[in-house]
Amino acid sequence: MPRLLASALSLRRDPRLLKLPPYLSLLCIVVGVVWLFLLPLDDYSRRTYISENALLPGQVHTYFGGSDQNVFRAYKHETDELAGKGNIEVNDKLESIAKGLGLKVGRQNFTYSSAGNTHSGQNIYAILQAPRGDATEAIVLVAAWKNVKGELNRSGVPLVLTLARYFKRWSLWSKDIIFLFTPDSIAGPQAWVDAYHDAHDSSRVASLPLKSGALQGAIALDYTRETRFQSVHIVYDGVNGQLPNLDLINSVNHVAGGQMGMGVAIQEMWKHSNSYHDRLQTMLRGMLKQGLGLASGPHSSFIPYHVDAVTLQPFGEGWQDEMAIGRVIEGTFRSLNNLLEHLHQSFFFYLLMQRERFVSIGTYLPSAMLVAANFTIMAIALWVKSGQPDVQEIITEKTKTAEEAERIVSPNPHVASERDLFLPLVLVAVCQFLGVVPLYLFNHLSESALIPAFVLFSVLSSILPFLLSNLLHTSTTSTTAQQYHLIRSFSLLLLGMFLSSLATLNFSLAFFVGVFSAPLTFVRPCPNSSTLRWLSMVVLYVLSPTTVVLVASMLPGLDEKVGCGLGEVLRQAAFAWDVTGTYTPVVVWCVWWPAWIVGVVSVLGRPGAGDKKVKKA
Amino acid sequence: MNGGKVTLRRTAGLYAGAAVLRLALFTLFPGLPDLLTGRVEISTPVTSFKRLQEGLFLYNHNVSPYDGGVYHQAPLLLPIFNLLPSFSAFPIFTYLLYIAIDILSAHALLRIAESGEAGSSARFTSPRRDKRWSGAIVAALFLFNPFTIATCIGRSTTVFTTCAILHAIANAISGRPFHAMVALAFASYLSMYPLLLLPPLILLCYDRQKLPATGAPNAWIKFTATMVMDVFGALAVLFQMSFFLTGSWEFLSSTYGVQLTLSDLAPNIGLWWYFFVEMFDSFRSFFLAVFWLHLSSYVGGLSVRLRQQPLVVITLLLGIFSIFKPYPSIADASLFLGMVPLYRHVFPLLRYSFVIAAIIIYTTFLGPAFYHLWIYAGSGNANFFYAITLVWGLGLSLLVCDLAFAVLRDEWEVERPEMAGKEIRQI
Repeated sequence: MPRLLASALSLRRDPRLLKLPPYLSLLCIVVGVVWLFLLPLDDYSRRTYISENALLPGQVHTYFGGSDQNVFRAYKHETDELAGKGNIEVNDKLESIAKGLGLKVGRQNFTYSSAGNTHSGQNIYAILQAPRGDATEAIVLVAAWKNVKGELNRSGVPLVLTLARYFKRWSLWSKDIIFLFTPDSIAGPQAWVDAYHDAHDSSRVASLPLKSGALQGAIALDYTRETRFQSVHIVYDGVNGQLPNLDLINSVNHVAGGQMGMGVAIQEMWKHSNSYHDRLQTMLRGMLKQGLGLASGPHSSFIPYHVDAVTLQPFGEGWQDEMAIGRVIEGTFRSLNNLLEHLHQSFFFYLLMQRERFVSIGTYLPSAMLVAANFTIMAIALWVKSGQPDVQEIITEKTKTAEEAERIVSPNPHVASERDLFLPLVLVAVCQFLGVVPLYLFNHLSESALIPAFVLFSVLSSILPFLLSNLLHTSTTSTTAQQYHLIRSFSLLLLGMFLSSLATLNFSLAFFVGVFSAPLTFVRPCPNSSTLRWLSMVVLYVLSPTTVVLVASMLPGLDEKVGCGLGEVLRQAAFAWDVTGTYTPVVVWCVWWPAWIVGVVSVLGRPGAGDKKVKKA
Repeated sequence: MNGGKVTLRRTAGLYAGAAVLRLALFTLFPGLPDLLTGRVEISTPVTSFKRLQEGLFLYNHNVSPYDGGVYHQAPLLLPIFNLLPSFSAFPIFTYLLYIAIDILSAHALLRIAESGEAGSSARFTSPRRDKRWSGAIVAALFLFNPFTIATCIGRSTTVFTTCAILHAIANAISGRPFHAMVALAFASYLSMYPLLLLPPLILLCYDRQKLPATGAPNAWIKFTATMVMDVFGALAVLFQMSFFLTGSWEFLSSTYGVQLTLSDLAPNIGLWWYFFVEMFDSFRSFFLAVFWLHLSSYVGGLSVRLRQQPLVVITLLLGIFSIFKPYPSIADASLFLGMVPLYRHVFPLLRYSFVIAAIIIYTTFLGPAFYHLWIYAGSGNANFFYAITLVWGLGLSLLVCDLAFAVLRDEWEVERPEMAGKEIRQI
């Protein structure tokens, strides 16, 4: 045993071991990415199933229909007349209808300002008190007056009113039902749900005059079309990539797909053949949305409060009518009504690749963790490397006899040489803190100033590494190879740490940032080969945060629009930051960007140049 | 002379900088103090500022502060905070008090560092002692440690204990054993566990007393007895004052009893709470005894093994306490991490410094992330957070072990100079 230990220890000193980490890092990245592409295969993904026994989705008869069709038509006439009218006028009408149904009604004003624009409006909501409950729990049915694209929710609002009238007739509800009508799809629900949990900023958002119990779930209806439809599209992405409990999606799926016999689509995959290609596309779309962390519908704001929520959107040309989607909601609400405790059984971390196929966190997390681990491996390797005396340089520089060289090398091959930590620590810390500048800038400028600011910032951020690099060389004590190792080590360590923490919160964002900054592991000062240096520079500048943001804004969006443009992207980012509290900008500017700056600085580095001069002098 | 003035100015500048930074954090981010006060990493049931406010409210309304089972801190803190203008109207005075305490602690640390005790104690002189950081650097590393700053902004009452412990050590080194013992009595009165530092502190006082031992063979017995009497005398006075203040001995069970029996199971970064949440009640008292025995068992062993360097014993014990005490917080870690730079001379002998730094930084970020997943997002559970606190404990215990290794190796190389620089091997 001692001999084994000793040989293991001597292996530790093997210089070949230090050549390994870059390959190990590369392996981590490759395995991490390949892993992701394996997930859609049958062997790695699973069929969805209902974990929560109490839900019993699709087990009840739904009675919505018949004469309710006439009620719907009547409400639709009423709401059609309101099209184009002001928020208050609409709410006055909705209030009179809801009060006519015998529901308690509350209103709430909110005003958000973001990028120089104000987003204000008034929410209105009605509470149906549970005949068999004690007002300790509630379920929410949301209909925004306008959906995320700004289209009028023409059939959604009257359908929710019809459902309110219909639900009121039943005596089986054991949870309160809240009908919420918001003027828009993101700011309104956010204001309401913040105020419901008393987490609102009362200078911008009014408190709620009326409340019920703890929210158990929420369904939002985004039903703009007035013709018959084919299937229903479930939108489930929450703010910051949080997802609702998988049981909720499964229940809707069960009720809509199983009981009602209408198709269910996710992630805007209108046609899904369940092939590898389609599964992969669904998964990647889901990851992209999760990574961006934006609100994708009225349901998104509920999820951070641990209220599971989805938005239903009817789509396609078919023969399903309004009553069908009404029955889907009825069935889902009956299931939610059965819940004995908060949805907790099923998964909160998953990637859906088809409506009935998913991978859970245990299967997909390693891919992001491997990508994050590659930075840590390299950071440790660079640290070890920085502690080793630069043997070769000593030997080549002073051409002594082999014996003398041996003597120089031998005294302390085991004891790490002292490291000069100060400069590397300061440089990395300064770069990290500089990240606050773009973060503040892009979230506090007005809309018209955003594009000029971005252009200016891009130019500055491209020049900054050159300035820093010059600063490192003109200073009296020139930066040594060891210091460059340490600079890179600290920067990669921080990046690896941030990304692995982030991977637990928002897998997709961590994965994308990790992949985009993968070259940072491999770039190094190349004082001897200018081609290598320029090659590294090109790769780094192509994958810089600013370039990626710019290119992403030009690419065709998810909904087949041709690129929404830089201004729109920046405006949306500021809106998401101000209203929904999306932290993606923090990750881009305070994690990715500083690491990128340090990466470019180390490519530009000419380590030890000053040292040799000193020695010669 | 001039040099002295320059260092004095530098030290003053350092303290001013630290004070301004804290004051800026307090005033520019008004939400920050309350946010940090609510973090379990900073506020434990026995140090929370929120609970202190509750106790203060009851105290001001002539109700026993221990009614309701929220307040578990020493009674004498109440009149101190009562003397300050009302916190709700003038929070600035409380902020200034906490800043002052931090600077006092840093000053004691500076005195410890300047004394050079870490490198050359009365019985042992390290050959590497020349390589050390000045007191100002050590104090700066303490003052600008993010953990120290977070503790100060979070207004945890651990800062008083930290200050008392550091002053006890500083006084022991400067040859004022009585002052040292009174300071230790204060620390023990506030948090109880510092009483375990008594043996090494007596050793330190004994080694550093101004008058050399008078040759009498049993002088050390007399010295020890005096020291012990000093501590317990001071403690008795403090207890008596507390009794007069609260009018009953109830405070003993509410403050020290809670620490001994771990009756408040709020999560923290320590290893106890999860264990005792899971525990069957019938085993509870047995394991409480085992945990306390484990915590106190290090005192004897370390004091004997490292008899030549009592300051090392104290440092290592502080590290062990920050891992294994019932309600640890990052404040305890910050005290330990503040003492570590005193051993700059053995840093080259540390073997895992990078691993330790990486673990501590990783857990600093992963801990709050997992706590968020557990408490707010609801998508994780208690195991997530506890796993990270285990890793945090691992990081700190690696540091304790590595520091002990480095110090022992340093001693060993003095004994066996021919082995300097050679690799050690287990035989």
